[in-house]
Amino acid sequence: MALSKKPGAGLGVGPDDATQTSSDATGNTPSALAVRTTAVSEPIVVSNTLWRSVDPNAYQGSLEPEITHLRELEASGAGRRDNARWSGPLEVIPTKADYVLDLIRANSLWPLLSGLACCAMEMMSSATSRNDMDRWGMFPFRASPRQADVLIVAGTLTTKMAGPLVRLWEQMPEPKWCVAMGDCTCSGGRYKRSYATVEGIDRVMPVDVYVPGCPPRPEGLIYGMMKLQQLVKDRRGHWPDRAIGPTVPADV
Amino acid sequence: MTAAPPHGQREAPSDDPRVQLDQDAGVFEPVPPYPPRTEREAEFYTLGDGEMFINMGPQHPSTHGVLRIVLKLEGEVVVDLDPVLGYLHRGVEKLCENADYHHSIAYLDPLEYISSLFCEWPGVLAFEKLLDVQVPRRAEYIRVLSTELNRILSHSLFMGWMALDLGGLTPILWSFIERDEIAEMLAALTGQRLLYNYLRIGGVNGDINHEFMSRLGDWMSRATNQIENNLGLLNQNEIFVRRMRGLGKLDKETAFRMAVTGPNLRATGVPLDFRRAHPYSVFPELEFDIPTRDEGDCLARYLVRMDEIKQSLRIIDQCIHKMPDGPVMAKLPRLLRPRPGRAYAAVEGPRGQYAAYVVSDGTDQPFRMRIHDPSFVHLQSVGVLMPGHLIADAMAVMASLDPIMGGVDK
Repeated sequence: MALSKKPGAGLGVGPDDATQTSSDATGNTPSALAVRTTAVSEPIVVSNTLWRSVDPNAYQGSLEPEITHLRELEASGAGRRDNARWSGPLEVIPTKADYVLDLIRANSLWPLLSGLACCAMEMMSSATSRNDMDRWGMFPFRASPRQADVLIVAGTLTTKMAGPLVRLWEQMPEPKWCVAMGDCTCSGGRYKRSYATVEGIDRVMPVDVYVPGCPPRPEGLIYGMMKLQQLVKDRRGHWPDRAIGPTVPADV
Repeated sequence: MTAAPPHGQREAPSDDPRVQLDQDAGVFEPVPPYPPRTEREAEFYTLGDGEMFINMGPQHPSTHGVLRIVLKLEGEVVVDLDPVLGYLHRGVEKLCENADYHHSIAYLDPLEYISSLFCEWPGVLAFEKLLDVQVPRRAEYIRVLSTELNRILSHSLFMGWMALDLGGLTPILWSFIERDEIAEMLAALTGQRLLYNYLRIGGVNGDINHEFMSRLGDWMSRATNQIENNLGLLNQNEIFVRRMRGLGKLDKETAFRMAVTGPNLRATGVPLDFRRAHPYSVFPELEFDIPTRDEGDCLARYLVRMDEIKQSLRIIDQCIHKMPDGPVMAKLPRLLRPRPGRAYAAVEGPRGQYAAYVVSDGTDQPFRMRIHDPSFVHLQSVGVLMPGHLIADAMAVMASLDPIMGGVDK
């Protein structure tokens, strides 16, 4: 069982360790935006503030990390996330509770209405009459990132839109998932050679499911969302640390 | 992690030039972080008594894409606005200059993604003018047939969006039934549901096939009824009609001054249609009317589009009956090297005038490709139409102009 320095430390439950600033306050830059010198293909490693091992000698005896920018990141609190898990006295039951909660979450995915370009048409088509995504528990689209679980990035991501899109992703509460819809978001697609586009959104945010196609048919998006449901069920109870780069397990 | 740098100072950019994120774009401050560059900016970003800024977008469900508008409000009334463009700028014109003539058609497709065939057409027409190609008549009829289907698709989606921006959720479900049927039909013809890449220099990609014709015949037999049904949902809705009447009035002189074309211009009483005014393809042989309205308000713009659907059905009917036999592609070499020169072509699309201006320097790639898009031109008239309206009506005014951000930002 995980031990903490004090009950609920860093878990976003106490008054002192709640998220210090709201995510859209001035100066609170999204962490994915702030890391500029790191190569984007490498995952961003954030030091572990959430739990300590039972063995005091394990993990360098929980020393402060040696890398300076990580210590700064930790001091700023920007790397800390309220990940919506049980904590405090309820820490006794987290495994089973998350197991059940994730089962519920998988069958009620609320996507964010964020169409960027062409794929938005097929995204809307998959939500309306003919291909009704609602039938599989993918609820019609939410207009606010605060109410959304899944960010379906539908359409070309340009360099100018990359900042706002990352901020949208940061504004969504945990747990959250990201679906890259279309070739432009997977790899750059037909605009790969352009000076103005980001070649795949996994350069700026983590992606769970890639749906290729230019644009994919609505059935393709629905299939991708079903894969996401399967992924949520497979990861039940334990969530890997998010990193920029592909995070899909090999067998999904 | 440090606080954002003060205005005017930027952090050192990332090593990879393609992953530089615009930090200022990420922070949604309505007032830009630099001193005003023009007199207009200085005037706009100075708040008067009782005024406030509202930042709308770039992610907003009713901006039809990624448009950002800074609204200056007094209470609930829009006083002034400043649209911020470029969130979907993909550099299409530059990409076309680095692709050969056949290849650049694929870049023109996603400009306006609900009327893709109309984005291809002026480019293809301009290339054909450069090369002096004679297009087979069957290919011309297929072009007209497929583009008129695309026009119906676009207008029926407009009906849903118009109602959606006024708060009605049902019409979009109805209009997507229509849209999906036409999209499947065009998919049988072109192989794609959305970005068709169907028109070729000197013809079209493939002849009409059995699946397309059977889907088209099936749909045509009930299209008139179905569209009448859809229109009954809104045209007889008193809430809808009373809200739209008199909203966002555009007069004839302003429309000309703003270079407005298409249904938005015809709603002010000017019967200008490029299919009649500068005939291209086989339109001189086809019979159709040019629906106009005199009011120039949102309701007129909506009704003109709905009348155009019926005219498009007429054109499709004539195309099926008049279509001759023959080839669908002119004989052309694989590598096209037109003589040095320039060519301009314009077509009448569902939003107005789509045009392309191509300069050739004798190589196999266009030297310059200029794309004229009606969405971009129409978006400038929101600066005239929106002020004075309530903020709830401002987006209805924009929806009635029917801009698509892919075409605005190119």
